[in-house]
Amino acid sequence: MALSQTKKSEGLPVPPWHPNLRIEESLPDTKVVRTAFFVNGAAILVAIALALYLGIQEWKLHEVNKQIADWQRQIDRDTKQSAEAVALFQNFKLETAKTKEVSDFMSSKPVISAIVLRLGQMTPKKIALDQLDFRDNGFSIKATVKGAPDRASGDASAYEKQLRTDKVLGPMFSDVNLLTMNRNSTTGRLVIEIFCEYAKGQKKS
Amino acid sequence: MSNEELMSFLRKNVISVTCVIVSILIGLAIYYRSDLLPDAEKVLAQRAQQGELLAANIEDSNLLKDQHTAILASNEAISNRMIRVGQLAENLQYFYRLESETSTKLTGNPRQVPLPPVLKNAPKTNFVAVPFALTAQGDYAQLMDLLRRLESGEHYCRVMTCNLHPLTEMRGGQLQLTLSIELLAIQ
Repeated sequence: MALSQTKKSEGLPVPPWHPNLRIEESLPDTKVVRTAFFVNGAAILVAIALALYLGIQEWKLHEVNKQIADWQRQIDRDTKQSAEAVALFQNFKLETAKTKEVSDFMSSKPVISAIVLRLGQMTPKKIALDQLDFRDNGFSIKATVKGAPDRASGDASAYEKQLRTDKVLGPMFSDVNLLTMNRNSTTGRLVIEIFCEYAKGQKKS
Repeated sequence: MSNEELMSFLRKNVISVTCVIVSILIGLAIYYRSDLLPDAEKVLAQRAQQGELLAANIEDSNLLKDQHTAILASNEAISNRMIRVGQLAENLQYFYRLESETSTKLTGNPRQVPLPPVLKNAPKTNFVAVPFALTAQGDYAQLMDLLRRLESGEHYCRVMTCNLHPLTEMRGGQLQLTLSIELLAIQ
């Protein structure tokens, strides 16, 4: 029995064996660079990075607050003067409105005397003005045309055209129409009526 | 982990533990103060805008005093040329004075037409246009003188309607001028 057992044990490889008596925790770190160095380094770096970030943010905040304080000082200094300027401008606008009102009033209607004078200058000698009637939208001219009716009608038509194209009066009108053309039974002369309509929206002269 | 083990761990890793604690504290500070900078920037933008506006107001008002003085003087001159709504006698006297100065003859009395009622929606105005009606007779030169004095004379006047025709068939004779005008007035 003992012999057979000896034979069996001789046939199997026996692993090397020795007792492990090391206490791992108490053994020194034998690496070239200790792990603690990396851990501490990383922790320090993170702490420094965070501190730097916070510092930069605080510095920015300080600068912004400083600028706010500067603006506030300027605002406090300028507020009164600006309020006075605004009040003055409001008053200026009111005063300007008065001037504009007068200007609008004066330019809302044509200057009749200027039109009459111009009509006197431009009207041919063959045509005698009988009546001028100025209304809100235009004016009518009643006139007598001298000469024989056949030529007088041509003169009347030419006068109508002349009114329309006159360099002073023409731009004032939107339309010039020969309304009537009758022979005066007493004198035999041609009596005409022309209506000159003011152009709408155009500034009156 | 017992207290002893914890103390031992802390003693052994004092640097890294301190760094972690400091990092946590800084992180908390960053977190809680993170809103301050954007808020401050918003306030700065508002203050800057307000400050620039005030500065612009002051800068733009440099010439305003002179302009305001000029327009006040101008409006004073305008006011002096206005008639007064209630002063009928003085207003009509103006036409009689013109009659005298132009040697025309006012036929009938010039009259002040009652003011039309003010509409509720009408824009508020500083002045009132007071209507008058008058008829004058004279030769062409006299009537033109009257018309020109009215239109560019002492008071602000606009001619609403105007009729000019001879009194007789005879050429070069007397004419009649019928006017409906408005004079600008102060209430």
